[in-house]
Amino acid sequence: MDHSQPAATGKSGYYLNVTGPGDSRHSGRPGRRVIKQNMNTTSVHNEAANELYAMLSPALRTELAKHEKSMTVPEGTNLIRHGELLDHLVIINSGKVEVTLSCARKQASLGLAQGGKVFGMRAIVAGEPPEVDVICLESCDISILPRDAFLALLKSNPEIYFAVAKVLSSDLQIADRVLRASSRRCAPQPIRES
Amino acid sequence: MAMAYNFQIIEDCLKCTHREDRLFCNLSREALIQMQNIKATSVYPKGAMLCLEGQAPRGIFVLCTGRAKLSTTSSEGKSMILRIAEPGEVLGLTAAVSGTPYEATIETLEPSQANFIAQADFVRFLQEFPDVGLRVAKQLTHNCKCAYGEVRSLGLSNSVPEKLAKLILQWAEHPIDLSVKKPNEISIRVTLTQEEIAQFIGTSRETVSRVLSAFRRKNWLRVKGATWTILNRQQLENLVTT
Repeated sequence: MDHSQPAATGKSGYYLNVTGPGDSRHSGRPGRRVIKQNMNTTSVHNEAANELYAMLSPALRTELAKHEKSMTVPEGTNLIRHGELLDHLVIINSGKVEVTLSCARKQASLGLAQGGKVFGMRAIVAGEPPEVDVICLESCDISILPRDAFLALLKSNPEIYFAVAKVLSSDLQIADRVLRASSRRCAPQPIRES
Repeated sequence: MAMAYNFQIIEDCLKCTHREDRLFCNLSREALIQMQNIKATSVYPKGAMLCLEGQAPRGIFVLCTGRAKLSTTSSEGKSMILRIAEPGEVLGLTAAVSGTPYEATIETLEPSQANFIAQADFVRFLQEFPDVGLRVAKQLTHNCKCAYGEVRSLGLSNSVPEKLAKLILQWAEHPIDLSVKKPNEISIRVTLTQEEIAQFIGTSRETVSRVLSAFRRKNWLRVKGATWTILNRQQLENLVTT
């Protein structure tokens, strides 16, 4: 797949940059505005409000929430871009996002997601670039959880693996449903030109 | 060691010689001892249903020997093969972890051995042993990657010859060893029927038969029972645009 081709973004063409300009893994692309978030924003303790936290003990939730940064991002923000290494999990607290899968110059929609969904788990756990793009369809309240802090907690609290498995299972179910819903004879149906 | 069909039954996971090569099974000794206590080993003939789509989850199956097909029914009532599971894979994982019904029907394609672990035991096992959690996560990320690949191929492979060529080339990554082998020829063992191949690539059996005949006529492929020999890999690769 040619990752040099820009994937579709929302109307305003923003993308999320929470690592700062010094991180070479996040190369800013020309023609896009970067939302640089203030990393000192107030953390919000999401009481089991998302699919990750729902499976954890209150103590672990509190521990994770200490590393969480919350922010509001505008419509069109590309929260996750396929092919680019990710250094944080993205938790959607409110607002609607679209998940798409790039296939050469096309985009396959995997569907919409709302508050409570966690993105980037596969990329963080496997250490591989994400395969999907996640774009805000409206202004969204999100929290980000740095990869290193999450993996460190995972190492010292292996019970988090069950929650991780639940999040990954949910992602797999979404992909399987897309496969099921679209009979392979009507292949072009869920695909649109970017 | 007990035998069934044409393979040895591996009853003791600690003595299994394959475990280091398998994503899920290469666990710590403590975890393997625990797995030994909670698993039930069964041997299945070809065509046995391990679980049915929509059925409440009972547990997971670790496929030790043999292969199994994971199929589902599309919204139009057509049977579709999602993928073929190879030895070492954990089946029914998504359902067991999320507590939702099985997403696919799992049927053995050949005589197989599978170790069954009941859902409650598996969840405890996963929470108790970090390396089990890690391997479950790895298996799920692998499955996700495969599913994304399938979704991609939905949109990119438009013609049946292209889809069939792609499938044959995928199988060619695991060729069989023949005593007499010509250079540039790749032999594979195909245990799927033409009907199943049609379900895999979303077409009819008749179309699969017609395209296979065309491949044979052009001398790209030789089919002798379950042994298929790729005679011209380049031509098949030329058909695949992605």
